[in-house]
Amino acid sequence: MDIQEYKGIFVFVQQVDNKIASVSFELLGKAKELAKDMETEVTAVLLGYNVSGLCNDLARYGADKIIMVDNKALEVYATEPYTHSMCKIIEKYKPAVVLYGATAIGRDLAPRISARVKTGLTADCTKLEIADDGTKNLRMTRPAFGGNIMATILCPEHRPQMATVRPGVMQKIKPIEGATAPVDKFDIEIGPDHQNVEVLEVIKKVSNKMDIQDAKILVSGGRGMGCPENFKLLQDLADALGGTVSSSRACVDAGWVEKDIQVGQTGKTVRPNLYIACGISGAIQHLAGMEESDVIIAINKDESAPIFEVADYGIVGDVTKILPIFTEEVKKAMAARNNA
Amino acid sequence: MDFVLSKEHEMARTLYREFAENEIKPLAQELDEQERFPTETVEKLRKYGFLGIPFPKEYGGQGCDTLSYAMCIEEVAKVCGTTSVVISGHTSLGAAPILKYGTPEQIQKYFVPLAKGEKLGAFALTEPNAGTDASMQQTKAVLEGDHYVLNGSKIFITNAGYADTYVIIAMTDKSKGTKGISAFIVEKDFPGFSVGKKEKKMGIRGSSTCELIFENCIVPKENLLGKEGKGFNLAMNTLDGGRIGIAAQALGLAEGAFEETVKYVKERKQFGKPIAKFQNTQFQLADMATKIKAAQLLVYRAAMAKDTQKVYSEEAAMAKLFAAEVAMEVTTKAVQLHGGYGYTREYPVERMMRDAKITEIYEGTSEVQRMVISSHELR
Ligand SMILES: Cc1cc2nc3c(=O)[nH]c(=O)nc-3n(C[C@H](O)[C@H](O)[C@H](O)COP(=O)(O)OP(=O)(O)OC[C@H]3O[C@@H](n4cnc5c(N)ncnc54)[C@H](O)[C@@H]3O)c2cc1C
Ligand SMILES: Cc1cc2nc3c(=O)[nH]c(=O)nc-3n(C[C@H](O)[C@H](O)[C@H](O)COP(=O)(O)OP(=O)(O)OC[C@H]3O[C@@H](n4cnc5c(N)ncnc54)[C@H](O)[C@@H]3O)c2cc1C
Repeated sequence: MDIQEYKGIFVFVQQVDNKIASVSFELLGKAKELAKDMETEVTAVLLGYNVSGLCNDLARYGADKIIMVDNKALEVYATEPYTHSMCKIIEKYKPAVVLYGATAIGRDLAPRISARVKTGLTADCTKLEIADDGTKNLRMTRPAFGGNIMATILCPEHRPQMATVRPGVMQKIKPIEGATAPVDKFDIEIGPDHQNVEVLEVIKKVSNKMDIQDAKILVSGGRGMGCPENFKLLQDLADALGGTVSSSRACVDAGWVEKDIQVGQTGKTVRPNLYIACGISGAIQHLAGMEESDVIIAINKDESAPIFEVADYGIVGDVTKILPIFTEEVKKAMAARNNA
Repeated sequence: MDFVLSKEHEMARTLYREFAENEIKPLAQELDEQERFPTETVEKLRKYGFLGIPFPKEYGGQGCDTLSYAMCIEEVAKVCGTTSVVISGHTSLGAAPILKYGTPEQIQKYFVPLAKGEKLGAFALTEPNAGTDASMQQTKAVLEGDHYVLNGSKIFITNAGYADTYVIIAMTDKSKGTKGISAFIVEKDFPGFSVGKKEKKMGIRGSSTCELIFENCIVPKENLLGKEGKGFNLAMNTLDGGRIGIAAQALGLAEGAFEETVKYVKERKQFGKPIAKFQNTQFQLADMATKIKAAQLLVYRAAMAKDTQKVYSEEAAMAKLFAAEVAMEVTTKAVQLHGGYGYTREYPVERMMRDAKITEIYEGTSEVQRMVISSHELR
């Protein structure tokens, strides 16, 4: 392989129901920075059905070029037709870098592609930069061993260099109004050979029954919530953040909530990116189940509550007063982020 | 030195034994199976004065000494671990500190009904983050005018939910560490006080062990027990006394299991003769009996020390440590000598083995007893 032949940064654009995932815009933003250091261009790769309407948005968020595959077989995400299409694109356009969001789709797709094109893939990166040693290799940094060490990984001899990137880590650019980008329509034949799996139905469920162990964001309530009705406040914040509600044992014992959302020694051990402990004192049996969370925010009216010893951020005050304000601010911030 | 019990002690023991055999033993298995608190037995204990044995007559007690009290726990534990801990939780932990540290008013109002058995007592020190390290108290008591406001929780409290009067340890001034800890008398109906879930336990399953919850619980200022800041000493002193009760409980469990085993090995035949005829059985029984007697001497010595000496913490710690470990060993061997039958719930020895384990843990783990003993020896 002549790695010199491979040029440009490609971003796989994730769309579901013709709506582009936020992480794809974040990746375009990051790709733009990288492109500057590599002296190259950013190409958005858009797969789907009837998706041409999305092209302008991609341009506004930093795509210099767009490769679009519009095909009925790509209407709903499925591993095989998407992998096949991406491989064809890589074969034809020879990108130096391909980035994917580390979403359920990105994590499914990227390893398939890397195995087929025989190149390296770094999963779940939190930092990307271009080596300044003349090679212009992509330095991909990701947390390893459960976040205990940061590993910086290179793919020096194979192309494209591929990475999935954690949603929320990279910054979108401020949209360039009126920007356009040339769209290269690429027809790919997707035959029965590429569709061994048929999607019968996609069920969209409001994920309030999500297993708390899978949740990235947990909004957790303790006895300090005062009554089961106040769990609504937690749900509101969880909805605003796209998180899930969990609880201490005290609330399970009191019959406020089901046992399956109890965090702790005799409940579930969780390790979300964000754990918000509301009205939880921080008994050792509770801490045992959540202290490995990446970021812990505690809200408690008692400033000497042990939960503050493990919290990264703490608010001393009445949780029933703080939560509604918190939720409002989160909603505002989220809205700003989505419109940015 | 006289190793013969006085006539009074002998008589008292006969009374305790008969009561235990007739009134407590028939219920023991049922209480364990159903994890049921022995409400009806407590009523009888009250009637016969079993809830105030070591307390002065003028306060409604029986006017007996600590040794009699220990013998009562011992006899009851022989047949039912659950009932023995209901008595000792009430007597040594719930009532004793009020007599020792209470004002005359507190004694009249709270202690007398406890000594008479009209009310049941409990003692709450342990918290989720403060077990062995009892100084890590998180429950707070803040003085506001004529009352204290308590906030926090306690776990593993014996007699919780059934007790009327609780001695609660709480922090009045965190900056002073153990010197900022105080004790309070809390009635079961005080606003802001509630009892949480009952723990599901391995043994002593009929006794109630629950969480206590204080949410802005209002405690009148006059319910401060002892001086502000002296709560840690009060708790440690109370536990010294309580340990004699637990040591006696452990002793009783070992004796009960031993008696059952002696009976069983004489009856059960294998290889054409009772298993008591095998030398292994005999030697096991010899070891068990010897250890039980050694434990008994330590327990009685600690009880006597409490009645005659000012300081008895080391004696109490030694008695609890040794008796608890003997109870564990003897009950385990008792199950072994019963063979497969010992593992079934038809026979009481498996229950005794489960009950024995807690004596190595509560009122200070065996490790704590070793700390207490070594600190005295190294002084
Ligand atoms: C065998 C055993 C196993 C256990 N396993 C677990 C387990 O798996 N998980 C678990 O969570 N616990 C477990 N526990 C229980 C644990 O010991 C604690 O009792 C429990 O975690 C306490 O829950 P909490 O923090 O919600 O309540 P509390 O300890 O009562 O704390 C409530 C907190 O809320 C604060 N507060 C009150 N009102 C307000 C307000 N208006 N605004 C803000 N703050 C307020 C208070 O200051 C306090 O800090 C176990 C206990 C035992 C005995
Ligand atoms: C059935 C039951 C009834 C109870 N009743 C009451 C009651 O009525 N009132 C009350 O206040 N409490 C009560 N308790 C609480 C009991 O006293 C505590 O459980 C006990 O003191 C041990 O504390 P912990 O469980 O927090 O164990 P931990 O303190 O967490 O100890 C765990 C282990 O570590 C060891 N350990 C801890 N520190 C050290 C050290 N420095 N060196 C060496 N080893 C150490 C301990 O010995 C133990 O083996 C009860 C408990 C039970 C289970």
